[in-house]
Amino acid sequence: MSQKFENLSALVDGEHVASSSSSSHVLDAVKNDADLQLKWKSYHLIRDGLRQELPVNLNFDIAGMVAKALESEPAILAPKRTWRDLPLVGRVVPFAKQGGQMAIAASVAVAMIIGVQQVNQADVDQPFNAAPPIPGIQGGLSPVSFDQSPTIPNSDGVEQRRRINAYMTDHKQQLRFKTIQLNYDESETSDQKITNEEVQSDIVENTPQ
Amino acid sequence: MTLLITIFVPLQVFAQEQPINTTNSYPSDSAQAWLAKMSDAVKSLNYTISFVLLKPGVDSQPYLWRHGVNEDGLEMEQLNLLNGPGREVVRIGNKVSYFEPNVPPYSLQSSIINGPFPSEFLQNPEKLLMGYEFIMIGRSRIAGRSAQQIRIISKDKSRFGLNVWLDQETGLLLKMNMFGQEGQLLEQIQVTGLQVTKEPAPFFAKIEPVMLPEVVSFSPSAPLNSQWEIGYIPKGMTIVKRDLRRLARASEVVEYIMLSDGLVDVSVYLQGRDNNKPQDNLVGTVQSDTLLTIEHGELNITIIGKLPATTANAIAKSIQRIN
Repeated sequence: MSQKFENLSALVDGEHVASSSSSSHVLDAVKNDADLQLKWKSYHLIRDGLRQELPVNLNFDIAGMVAKALESEPAILAPKRTWRDLPLVGRVVPFAKQGGQMAIAASVAVAMIIGVQQVNQADVDQPFNAAPPIPGIQGGLSPVSFDQSPTIPNSDGVEQRRRINAYMTDHKQQLRFKTIQLNYDESETSDQKITNEEVQSDIVENTPQ
Repeated sequence: MTLLITIFVPLQVFAQEQPINTTNSYPSDSAQAWLAKMSDAVKSLNYTISFVLLKPGVDSQPYLWRHGVNEDGLEMEQLNLLNGPGREVVRIGNKVSYFEPNVPPYSLQSSIINGPFPSEFLQNPEKLLMGYEFIMIGRSRIAGRSAQQIRIISKDKSRFGLNVWLDQETGLLLKMNMFGQEGQLLEQIQVTGLQVTKEPAPFFAKIEPVMLPEVVSFSPSAPLNSQWEIGYIPKGMTIVKRDLRRLARASEVVEYIMLSDGLVDVSVYLQGRDNNKPQDNLVGTVQSDTLLTIEHGELNITIIGKLPATTANAIAKSIQRIN
């Protein structure tokens, strides 16, 4: 009894890496044992807790929720009798079907061509694209929202845009001029040559357009 | 088989609740010891690192970062943005020089380059002990090297968290993820190449310290008698700067306050409310910075920085007139 928990614990801790056959053994045992499934859940929960990986809202029973959602899903009933079921027309159907298949094949080809073109347009090829892309952060594709707050819209009045830019520029400038040193006063006046209108203060962080 | 098992040392999970102390007294496998190793390596090794900075909404930014210490113990550092026109920052000792297109080169007096990564954190990670908790996660493989993962999270959940991966051998940074309160990725630094050499890179021998641009001198501003105070400052943050200034493109005079916790710097702007120009309350993100503008009493308050909007709002709402 304790041995099987021990095996499971080792698996969760990643100690089973060395011998894959034994890990698949344990996994089979977990599949068939409600006790072990319970332990599986709690071990992972403990690990996440120790690593401070717990989400804000704990949601323990995802599988149960999925099952419940499936239950409330409207059942798909047997298809109604249609004209296809008439004895005479039934024989014509294969032709129609073939046409449909052709169309599908053609659309797949189109999709592939579009797909290939899109891949070719990308600057950088990703040979190992096993992991799903990080939403929002790769390339300049889509701005991601933090904190469920929207990205500041571009067309929200020229005046406001100008003000936001002024603040952002100043913020970047302040970061740059934040010099780290003891007993040195780094305060700054606004009439210096480097703060003139031409200067982009966040140059180091700016992406060249 | 025994060899394999010894290589795959089980993941060790440490949850630390330790008092603030000198880093030397921590056990060698603690997160504090690893961060101390990192800051030591960052300051003392000769290395060449290429890394990519990823931010939402903008292109990836590849950088070259070199560091060397010469025979006299003088630290030299170079940071070069590899895409687009040459933008380069060079630090020799306490002099940081900026070479950029369209701007005459200039220098600042500073011992860090406040660049695309939090240099202050890399050099003084112990400063974060006040406001953050360090958690040892385990090992993984980053940039082709064995790495030690450490998670840094804000104690009072008022700031974003950080995942750093340090090189097992040297302690240098290999990867850094900044993540939000829901665990979503906000900003990423990924090292793609790391070379540690015995001698400083030949690049540094070519620099003639005399030829570097003049240090821009700041005239110290008069002490500010502000009638405003911030009631809520997140744990571990301090006011590092406070003055009156004029925004670069606007003619408006604002009171400026910078808050810092050694990892993120937050700008707070106070401006007297102009009744002729009603302004909208606004909150959102610009790249990885949060921007919040609200009307509060007699003031328009704008807060910018890498912090959650809720925290920015709490800071803004706590600003009040000194009685």
